[in-house]
Amino acid sequence: MSTQPEPVNRRDFLGRAARVAAMTGAGALIGKLAGTLAPGGAVWQIDPAKCTRCGKCATDCVLEQSAVKCIHAYAICGYCELCTGYFGPEPNALTTAAENQLCPTAAIQRTFVEDPYYQYRIDEALCIGCAKCVSGCNQYGNGSLFLQIRHDRCVHCNVCAIARVCPSDAIVRVPAERPYLLKTAPTTS
Amino acid sequence: MDRRAFFRYGLLAGLAALSARAVTRRGAQTCTTARGICSACPGLPECELPQALSARQAGPGSPADAGGSYTLVRRIPGGREPARAVEFGPDGRLWLAAGSTLALLTETGGRDREILFDAPVRCVAVGGDGTLYAGLRDRIVVCGADGGKRASWEIPGSRPWLTGLAVGENGLFAADAGNRVILRYDRSGRLLGRIGEKNPERDIPGFVIPSPYFTVRLHADGLLRVNNPGRHRVEAYTPEGDLVAAWGAASAALAGFCGCCNPVGLALLPGGRIVTCEKGLPRVKIYSGDGVFESLAAPSAAFPEAARAGAGAADSDASLAGLAAAADAQGRLAVLDHVTGSIHLLQPKA
Repeated sequence: MSTQPEPVNRRDFLGRAARVAAMTGAGALIGKLAGTLAPGGAVWQIDPAKCTRCGKCATDCVLEQSAVKCIHAYAICGYCELCTGYFGPEPNALTTAAENQLCPTAAIQRTFVEDPYYQYRIDEALCIGCAKCVSGCNQYGNGSLFLQIRHDRCVHCNVCAIARVCPSDAIVRVPAERPYLLKTAPTTS
Repeated sequence: MDRRAFFRYGLLAGLAALSARAVTRRGAQTCTTARGICSACPGLPECELPQALSARQAGPGSPADAGGSYTLVRRIPGGREPARAVEFGPDGRLWLAAGSTLALLTETGGRDREILFDAPVRCVAVGGDGTLYAGLRDRIVVCGADGGKRASWEIPGSRPWLTGLAVGENGLFAADAGNRVILRYDRSGRLLGRIGEKNPERDIPGFVIPSPYFTVRLHADGLLRVNNPGRHRVEAYTPEGDLVAAWGAASAALAGFCGCCNPVGLALLPGGRIVTCEKGLPRVKIYSGDGVFESLAAPSAAFPEAARAGAGAADSDASLAGLAAAADAQGRLAVLDHVTGSIHLLQPKA
């Protein structure tokens, strides 16, 4: 005598389906986090010490607007009135007029602090990672501006399109739990 | 939930976790393609790297040497320790501050004598009697002509960062970049005054020192000459602290000071002319005593490594990206390239 399986009513079916979906989603989330944060995980990042500010970060990222952005290490900045990362060579005046600025998208906000100091803040929504400001700051200034891949934008390509063309091999793999290579303030020894 | 259902859901969750992890890991594999492209670089026209790597160090008789009013006599290569300052003694011999040592150099660049300190030596001055004053970050160590240490003077202030010393009959002057002030001491180490601090009543705008390059020199006219790099000028003060003159302007032109903060170093020639050193576009220039540009002593091409590195590619304490200079009684110059640690000995062209 064969036993018939108990018929599944609609409430049980929906309940099981919900459990399966919840468990699958939770598992996927755990796996994703494990992949990102596990010691073995790695992401792409720019080594500021190797970067030659060639400008390819702006043009070779797979994203329409590059995931590479300029970062400002305020502890290194001189808060100069004549910032060589902000002003082009031989500016007409030290003002915020467009013709004086080096940045093609006006992504650097210049604000007065006290005579003769000014603060420079990067507007990441406008920054395209062209490195013009980084080049100016590093060649003539304190080198407080540098490029980094922002991981809230990076899509983590298997082979980073910028790394393929970087002339100085500055795009490196870094542990996912420490995804940024930051410039730090001078030591006091 | 019965046991079978529990295991079924657990299995599903495990499989989902493994799948997600695999997707993430696939993106984490080391890319070898980029490395391959770089090592077999076909020569991208816009790539500056090959050109930078193929540039050669300037030497006597090289095209770079031909660009200035001075000629390169000898280039003393740098050592392993970071070199920060040079100064001529009264006997015309050269002292080098490198790492935590003060070394007396021979004609060929060898080390005749060394004095060891417990911290990096950042500046040095030599008195007429041969007394040595070594500036460490937060104190001045006085040594006899024999190298024996006699005294140590602490620098007041919360964040001292000595970068320049000058000594004369009317005392010792110390440039403290951390507190943006010139400190005046007598020869026994007593603090006599503070010079150059912002003071609208005395019409002193104050020093602007974005990076630790701050030099003081005692001119033959009795006035101090101090670089104010953030304002792109050289200022003259009386030993009592009155600002009596200032000259210089921000410009990439030859007569001006380029970048955010120049000049970074000063030296005084016999007759009162002033030597300025710049970083970023590393060059050494000669001005008259009242600031009229006279000539380019050494062009940027004489310092290709420093030009390539740029002013912002400094070391851990941001003090090794420029040039420092000293002049002797014959008008010869010793220019220290912080990036390579090498010393360029220059003499005026006939």
